[in-house]
Amino acid sequence: MIMKRTSNAKKTLGLLFLFAMFPLWILAQNITVKGTVSDDGGPVIGATVKMKGATTGSVTDLDGKYTISVKPGSTLQVSYLGYQTQEVKIGNRTTINVVLKTDEEMLNEVVVVGYGQMKRADVTGSVVSINEKAVERSVPTSIDQVLQGRAAGVQIQANSGTPGASTSIHIRGINSLNATNQPIFVIDGVVVDAAGVDTNDPLSSNNPLASINPSDIVSMDVLKDASATAIYGARASNGVIMITTKRGKAGEATITYDGYVGWQEQAKKLDMMNLQQYATHHNARAAEGIVAYSDAFVNTDALGEGTDWQDALFRKALMTNHNISITGGTQASTYAISGGYLNQKGIAEGSGYKRLTLRGNTDAQVKKWLKAALSFSLTDSKQEVGADNGLIMNALESQPSVAVKSADGSYDGPDDVWMPVNAIAIANMRENYNKKMNFRVNGSLEATLYKGLTLKTEISADYNLNKFYYYEPDYKFGVLSNDTRTGKWTKTDTKYWSWRNILTYANTFAEKHTVNVMLGQEMSHSHWESQASTATGFLSNSVHDPSAGDVSSSTGTGTQVNNSLFSYFGRAFYSYDDRYLLTATLRRDGSSRFADGHRWGWFPSAALAWKVSNESFMKGTANVINNLKLRFGWGSTGNQNVSDWAYMALLASKSTPWGTGVLTANNANPDLKWETTDSYNIGLDLNMFSNRIEFIADWYYKKTRDLLLQIPLPAYLGSSGNGAASNPWSNVGSLRNTGVEMTLNTVNIDKAGFQWRTNLVFSLNRNKVISLDTESSTIDKTFQVGSDVSTVTRTTVGHPIGQFWGYKVIGRFDKASDFYYKDADGNVKAVALPEGSSIAKDKTWIGDYIFEDINGDGKINNEDETFIGNPLPDFTYGIGNTFSWKGFDLTIFFSGSYGNDVINYNRRFIEDVRSNSNLLTSAANYAQLGVIDKNLPADDFRNLYVTNASVTHLPRLSASSTNANNRMSDLYIEDGSYLRLQNISLSYTLPKNIVRKIKLENVKVYMNLQNVYTWTKYDGFDPEVGAMYGDALMTGLDYGRYPSPRIYTFGLNVSF
Amino acid sequence: MKLNNIIFIAALVGTGMMATSCADDFLDQKNTTSLNQDTFFDSDDAVKEATSTLYNYVWNSFNGKLYYSMGDGRSNNITAQWSNYIKVYTNFNETSLSEGLQEGWASLYSVVAQSNNVINNIKDKSSSAVTESAKNEGIAEARFMRGVAYWYLASLWGNVILYNNTSDLVNNYVVPTNPRADVMEFAIRDLEYAAKYLPAVSSEAGRVNKYSAFGMLSRLYLSMAGLTTDGQYDGTNVATDFNRGTRNTYYLNLARKAAEKVIKESSFKLMSDYASLFKIANNNCAEDMFQLQWLSGSTDAIGWGCNQDITAFFGWSTMVSEGTNWGGATCCSWNLFQEYESSDLRRHESVAAYGDYYADLNVKGGGYTYGVTESASTNGANIKKYVVGTHDDNGVSYKQSSGINTHMLRLAEVYLNLADAILGNNASTTDAEALQYFNAVRTRAGLEAKSSIDYETLRHERRMEFAFEGLYWYDLVRRAYYKQQEVVNYLNNQDRNRTYKYDAEAGAYKPSEKAGTGVATATAASMLLPYSDADQNKNSYLKSSATPVAYSFGAREVDESTLFE
Repeated sequence: MIMKRTSNAKKTLGLLFLFAMFPLWILAQNITVKGTVSDDGGPVIGATVKMKGATTGSVTDLDGKYTISVKPGSTLQVSYLGYQTQEVKIGNRTTINVVLKTDEEMLNEVVVVGYGQMKRADVTGSVVSINEKAVERSVPTSIDQVLQGRAAGVQIQANSGTPGASTSIHIRGINSLNATNQPIFVIDGVVVDAAGVDTNDPLSSNNPLASINPSDIVSMDVLKDASATAIYGARASNGVIMITTKRGKAGEATITYDGYVGWQEQAKKLDMMNLQQYATHHNARAAEGIVAYSDAFVNTDALGEGTDWQDALFRKALMTNHNISITGGTQASTYAISGGYLNQKGIAEGSGYKRLTLRGNTDAQVKKWLKAALSFSLTDSKQEVGADNGLIMNALESQPSVAVKSADGSYDGPDDVWMPVNAIAIANMRENYNKKMNFRVNGSLEATLYKGLTLKTEISADYNLNKFYYYEPDYKFGVLSNDTRTGKWTKTDTKYWSWRNILTYANTFAEKHTVNVMLGQEMSHSHWESQASTATGFLSNSVHDPSAGDVSSSTGTGTQVNNSLFSYFGRAFYSYDDRYLLTATLRRDGSSRFADGHRWGWFPSAALAWKVSNESFMKGTANVINNLKLRFGWGSTGNQNVSDWAYMALLASKSTPWGTGVLTANNANPDLKWETTDSYNIGLDLNMFSNRIEFIADWYYKKTRDLLLQIPLPAYLGSSGNGAASNPWSNVGSLRNTGVEMTLNTVNIDKAGFQWRTNLVFSLNRNKVISLDTESSTIDKTFQVGSDVSTVTRTTVGHPIGQFWGYKVIGRFDKASDFYYKDADGNVKAVALPEGSSIAKDKTWIGDYIFEDINGDGKINNEDETFIGNPLPDFTYGIGNTFSWKGFDLTIFFSGSYGNDVINYNRRFIEDVRSNSNLLTSAANYAQLGVIDKNLPADDFRNLYVTNASVTHLPRLSASSTNANNRMSDLYIEDGSYLRLQNISLSYTLPKNIVRKIKLENVKVYMNLQNVYTWTKYDGFDPEVGAMYGDALMTGLDYGRYPSPRIYTFGLNVSF
Repeated sequence: MKLNNIIFIAALVGTGMMATSCADDFLDQKNTTSLNQDTFFDSDDAVKEATSTLYNYVWNSFNGKLYYSMGDGRSNNITAQWSNYIKVYTNFNETSLSEGLQEGWASLYSVVAQSNNVINNIKDKSSSAVTESAKNEGIAEARFMRGVAYWYLASLWGNVILYNNTSDLVNNYVVPTNPRADVMEFAIRDLEYAAKYLPAVSSEAGRVNKYSAFGMLSRLYLSMAGLTTDGQYDGTNVATDFNRGTRNTYYLNLARKAAEKVIKESSFKLMSDYASLFKIANNNCAEDMFQLQWLSGSTDAIGWGCNQDITAFFGWSTMVSEGTNWGGATCCSWNLFQEYESSDLRRHESVAAYGDYYADLNVKGGGYTYGVTESASTNGANIKKYVVGTHDDNGVSYKQSSGINTHMLRLAEVYLNLADAILGNNASTTDAEALQYFNAVRTRAGLEAKSSIDYETLRHERRMEFAFEGLYWYDLVRRAYYKQQEVVNYLNNQDRNRTYKYDAEAGAYKPSEKAGTGVATATAASMLLPYSDADQNKNSYLKSSATPVAYSFGAREVDESTLFE
């Protein structure tokens, strides 16, 4: 065999598959055939050309030319990874040129599964794969963005639009009440533990994907059902995302440069009041006695626009990205090395992200029976987090009467201490960034002990050095001042190592019985340590390091945590005649996070697949249905995401006037145990017309029991405030997710070099809480803004999790008669008022809201709160269309969500007509009261009415807050459905024959528009809200979320 | 190759097996950061270390808001036009959704929950090395805190949830409330226990002692005297007529005895000078029987929870208090301002009015004259108490951490409690003992002694003496236990939310022409606060329709008849 050696396992396995498919032919009287193999871009190097049925063949050279000796009248088979295999009848020809067509969804492709690989055709579980083409087309800064709308059953929402921020990734619904619903990530076989990340910080890039350079990725395989994930046992219940990075190929080195430059801008602006509008409203409020008149606002006509704080905070921001990779090798060893640099400024002042990545993968056949591999990756990033959620609200609420800068160039500020601090000044002056360094290394040895029997041992380590820098200068912005200069450093080191030993045996007996058995053992250990030092007493703002502060007022603290996991696992795969496939796995995990006696858990799974298309009775339909597979799976997976030591009551050390004291730090639960998810999956894979239509459908049912949750205790258990013990972790109940997901990939047109492909992805999930063990059977989440603490979601039995909870506004008292209604018997009754209120100007009055008296007791109190919205979508979908013609590729990709609600919590504050902060212009249209009869008293409600009732939904201006018009109600719930034109990307690959002349291999230029347009009814910045604090029970709560930018990029990809 | 294979397998299997056999060892981790309750209590010192956090962290949220928003805001000592956590309560606009309600309720319960943890840990987790007396003393200290917290809860919310083991309730927190008198009784029993087991002399400056507990009891007995009809509370003698006009003499008598115990036996003394009570240097002075103990230093250095932040809420400018202050519009109410007698020395220390000079503020600039050094507030005269200057002035204060302790119980209150107890159900009294202690407080303020005391003189004196020390509302609540309508009428005649400012021409403060806006009419229901919506959602027993359930008390641990011997 003279084909160029490639270590690419896909290719090898692909060939193996071909060998298995076609019986040997008897060869005789050979002739020589020559020709060129090309694709629409030019010659294809390294394509395999052979006679159908033969074991050997030829490989095309640098010009795509081949020569082969074959039997006349036979069929020539031309194959190359990533292309459809072509068969050409030779006839009497001696020159045959072949044009290959790309194939994105080959059945022969290899899927990465837990601790091994499988041919896609053999997969029995539900696995969705994203290949590098999809990554290229979406020009992502982080690869999770690629999954959005492209993988059925995977819901992705960015928690913030700030560069480098985390995303909520939910695979097949939210199946844990726990804050961390994220799947685990397995990068080149190594579980990346997110240990030590602060899940309470919505801005922390707690998803390890942010540290990976997207252009290093070959594929992402999302393992969705338990039969696929159970091999990861105690950590698998939220799904597993397998990431494979590029490895080298034998041959002359290929050097590729890929780079782009992009601009980002705010996609939407809120309509806030300008100075004149604000002053007018201020005067109206003063007239009601809500605020004192301001001398500056006497003549509103003389006022200008004032400061537009949104314009001040948001900007057009540049981003650049450069990657260089070199791959190559010899028969015995291959390598892939890449380096990348990303510099993304944020659209809000004080935000930005820089990332430097370096990755190397080497593989070597060190002995005939022994393979060795060594990989490493290094990521160094810096994230500016100056513009946090608080700052975006600051900018919205800042009064237009306050200038960003005074005439003398210094930052200005409000004259009211209750108004927000100058957001621009804070974003620019306050130092607030983090630097993260990640180093991963992975070494393995794989010995072939006997034919089909291999033993692999692999050691991986993952080091993180996370540093947070904070410096608050002294300042005086208007009346807001800070006299203490404070510098703070927090350094967190994590070290994770794991060691696994895997024994694999694969063989085929009697041609029909294919067996693949794997046994393994793994141990892993995480260490997390953090040190923080704070200093004050800096002599100037020019130096910020803690050492520059006053040592006597500095403090230092440190803490460390270790946890470990020990596991045994095994998988058996059996295939009979390539028609009936069975996979069974079993894993046993022990975790240090639980008390002795609750540590060990079993996680079994089994799956069956029936390749109907390989049955003899399907032979007749083979040219229509080239693949039909039915899959059935069952499995049990776990979740151990609780804080360490949750099972033990700890005492926190606290300084007191009499030396160090202790305070109970947490409510312990010694009986804490695993959360377990049992799931069932039924799936169908159908490929028709030579893969021109591919259809994949899955139905699943998942039940999670022993749900882990840090119980949000009521305040009367001393659960909040500075001296409170933290809430206990507990196993609280069970919930169910069931759903359907469908993927349809079609090649609509493939003619004369023009190709049009469509990908449709549809995911539907229904979530329901089955049981809760707490007596009250509800889990309420509150959200605090200032001193306002409101219940925002409720989770209770019989409903989906995290449902919005609050009052219902059913109208407004527009006239006196609205205070009364006639009941069914015709009796006149008073409309229910808030408990303790009555009809009075200082209580409930004309122009106040009417809340629904749900329990009909004649008063409005919290018994009248109800479910007012559902943050979970009815379904999500993605639609992609790709058009290719002569090197041009145009992709138009839409993603969408339908039927989910969002709480526009911002409006509780920026549309509160009584508020002194800046408001939406709509707030000026508050309900105005007028007198019906001028001769009658103006303080009698019977003589008043709302004059603009038909044109406003807002309440009156009132000095009293008794009616609490801005209480959490359905008024703030909005339809969060959206359809987003996520990407338009256009690329042009220069013809290979032109490129070759300038000694290049490949040249591609591309442009991409991201977040182009969003069709939605949502009034806030962006309907894609994600989860507050990454907490699944706070999904769909929008409070000052950093909006996702619109991005324009232009790029170039060159390889030689 | 075969040999290599064998070696390779042997090495792997060998190490693999070794690792496997110690799997459980591998899963044992050690906590190197936090102590745990099972091993910590191994000495008398450990007990003290567990109670020392009950003087600050657990009270931090209470101190930050509820202390003055209820004590002074609701009783109309404060007019704070724009601060939602005060004005709502001043104007009787509160609902179960009001800002600060959940925080305030939570702040007192964080005291209860952590005190319970300390009590139960000392009881259940102490090693044999801990002496019985140290245990009793530690428990007594924690029960002092819990009792005080429950007194606040009973006074503000009435029926609340009593519990003495936090971890028991964690898994089953949906429990009914207990009636107000039971809560008061629970608080009294806690303080009686504290009075019996605390040492006569504080073991460390600032810790409470036996007489702190007696002093607090004199306050609690006066409350209980209004809640019950006659004799010791036994669950049946709860007063139901809130306008009956008389108090239970059994508790009036106990209040008198408790006060006398303090006055006669303890080493607490009145400070000779009222002004000196509000200086950082005089934290834990001879008059203070219980103060919240705050650390001095920047919050970045000492952390949150042990910092005194009232100052930031009262301070009216960056010149008088460190960092941004939110007290510019938080003023002495017009009603209180008018009530000061012109020669009352306490006015200058409590309220900064036009022309008042303070040498301790703006020290480098030669002192501070209110209204002159900087322009005065247009809402009224600002609150001076707890405003102690900037870091430059005192060398102690940082932003939101002024370093001055919070007064929770002063000897002056015990003096006035004594006078109140002696006055009892009489319209007035000329009792010599009552007059002696009443006048001790009054004359210190530079005022003439009174020869007769009645409710009105006591009310006035207490209001002047303790303005902005978070007490006045509770005086009114206590009165409303037996003269409710009188108190409701009083509340409605306080001219709430009226602003006033200095009129330079007249040389005096003048009220705004317009009456305060947004003030609702107080009713009997205004004497209690609603439960917060968030907690009602978690426990249906907090809904208005639910009835409280009597608490089952065990045997009385301390006999009231022998307590004073």
